[in-house]
Formats: sequence, structure tokens, C-alpha cells
Amino acid sequence: MREREEDQRLARRELFRLAGLGTVAGAVAVAGATHEAQAVTEAGADGAGYRETDHVKTYYTLAKF
Amino acid sequence: MAAEDQESASRVGAASGQAERIAEEEKLRADCYGLLARLLRATPEAELLRTIAGIEGDDTPFGRALDELAKAAASASAEALDDEYLNLFVGVGSGELLPYASYYLTGFLNEKPLAKLRGDMAQLGIARADEVTEPEDHIASLCEIMAGLINGSFGAPADLAAQRSFFDKHLGQWAARFFQDLEEAKSAAFYVPVGRVGRLFMEIEAAAFGMLSDEGVRRPH
Repeated sequence: MREREEDQRLARRELFRLAGLGTVAGAVAVAGATHEAQAVTEAGADGAGYRETDHVKTYYTLAKF
Repeated sequence: MAAEDQESASRVGAASGQAERIAEEEKLRADCYGLLARLLRATPEAELLRTIAGIEGDDTPFGRALDELAKAAASASAEALDDEYLNLFVGVGSGELLPYASYYLTGFLNEKPLAKLRGDMAQLGIARADEVTEPEDHIASLCEIMAGLINGSFGAPADLAAQRSFFDKHLGQWAARFFQDLEEAKSAAFYVPVGRVGRLFMEIEAAAFGMLSDEGVRRPH
């Protein structure tokens, strides 16, 4: 199982390399870095958007994943 | 729910987030999503344009699209960009494109795909930021969510099965089509290569998710 996961990881890495994703690390990383003007945020944070009780409860249950 | 429960839940999330390390190629995906999100949320500022102008792709379709984007960023003027963005996206009925999942999947805004997305966001512990009034199924929000799932901005990084599930449900069926529309839009100039980069990236993502074994992958419902 562990081996299969590792194979899968290497296959993905190879696919991304062949697709041209690998050579653009520097500038795309800087340009794509997340910044404050995000439209979505962690629900647990104070004052964040949807705080319906059921949703929040689900979040607390799932926060441990 | 008591405040202390709330606190302990977020501590657990934060602690497991720090424990995980993301592979370099996975981080690169998050950066691509982040870049697309920034370009689609609003017109890029001068500093971001300068950074983009420095991107060098390789000799692949995706790499060449990035080169085109870099070239477009080097020659873009702020004023022309604002006009272009306005013509492309702003105003229901007056913008050329409607970059929302619900619109692409049903032909209408704020339909079932948005409701399903809100449900999934709640499950993932993600909420719309306070000051944002736009529906969550905007392409930029969805790209932000993917970036966050990959790099762990919302607690722990999501595993590939969870990423795939979110991608299949909320981006896989329409995002490439939207990016192609952007490439071909009448008002698009700077946004032509943005559309191309986005379309090719969505294709790469779909191919990479398609390689995963189905074992243990939560299928979209």
C-alpha cells in the first residue's frame, strides 16, 4: 500500500514535469502566493461568513482530519 | 457550542496543519491556482504584473502559454487592463462572461451548484470572507479553495482524494470551458493568455487526478 502511494506520487510528479509545471517554480510561486484579499477564509475564524449552527458543528467534527 | 470547544477544535486543526509537509510539485499546483485566483478576482496591480513578466515557461504548451502571459504582462497598461476587466466580467448581462459554476452548469446564477458548493465549503470549514458579496462559485473563489486545500490554508492540507472530490464536483465540469471562453472572448487581450494558462492547467489537473487509483477516493455524488 505504502509502495503504491509512492508510485502514484512519482507518476504525478512526472506528469507535472512533462506538462511544464516544474520549470516555473520561482515567479509563479511569488505571483500566486496567497495574500490578504482572499474571498474565502477559514470558517472557524472570528467574524467569518456562514456560521449556521449545523455547519459550524460539522466543521468542529471535521476539523480533526 | 461553548467557546472552549471552539478553541480546542481550531487548535487541533492548526497543529495537524503544521505537521504535514507538501511535496514541491503539489505546492506548485497551489501556486498556479493562487495566480489564477488573483488574476480573475481583480485586475493585477503593477507589482504583480512585474512578477508575472518575469515568468519563463518551457517548451510545452503550458510553458508557452506562460511565456505569452509574461509577455502580455510586460506590455500591459493599468488603464487598458481595467477596461478589459470591466468588459469581460463586470455587471450581470453587461460583462461578456459570467465566471460562475452555477451559470456554466445550469445556465442560471445562484442555482443548485452554488448550494452544493456552500454545503461542501461548510464541511471543509471554509467560509466566504466577510467583505465579499459575490457568490462563492466564482472561478476565483474556487481556485482559492483549491490552493488552500493543497497548501493547508484552511487547517490541515487536504489529501489528494479530497482535492479530487472537490475538483470533480466544482471545477472539473466547467472551468476548462470557461477558460476557453476567456481565450476567445472579444474583449480579451491580456486575458487571452490567462485563459490559455487556465485551460491547460485544468487539463493537467484533470489528467493528474485521473491517474489516481479509485481506491479510497470519495466519488462525487
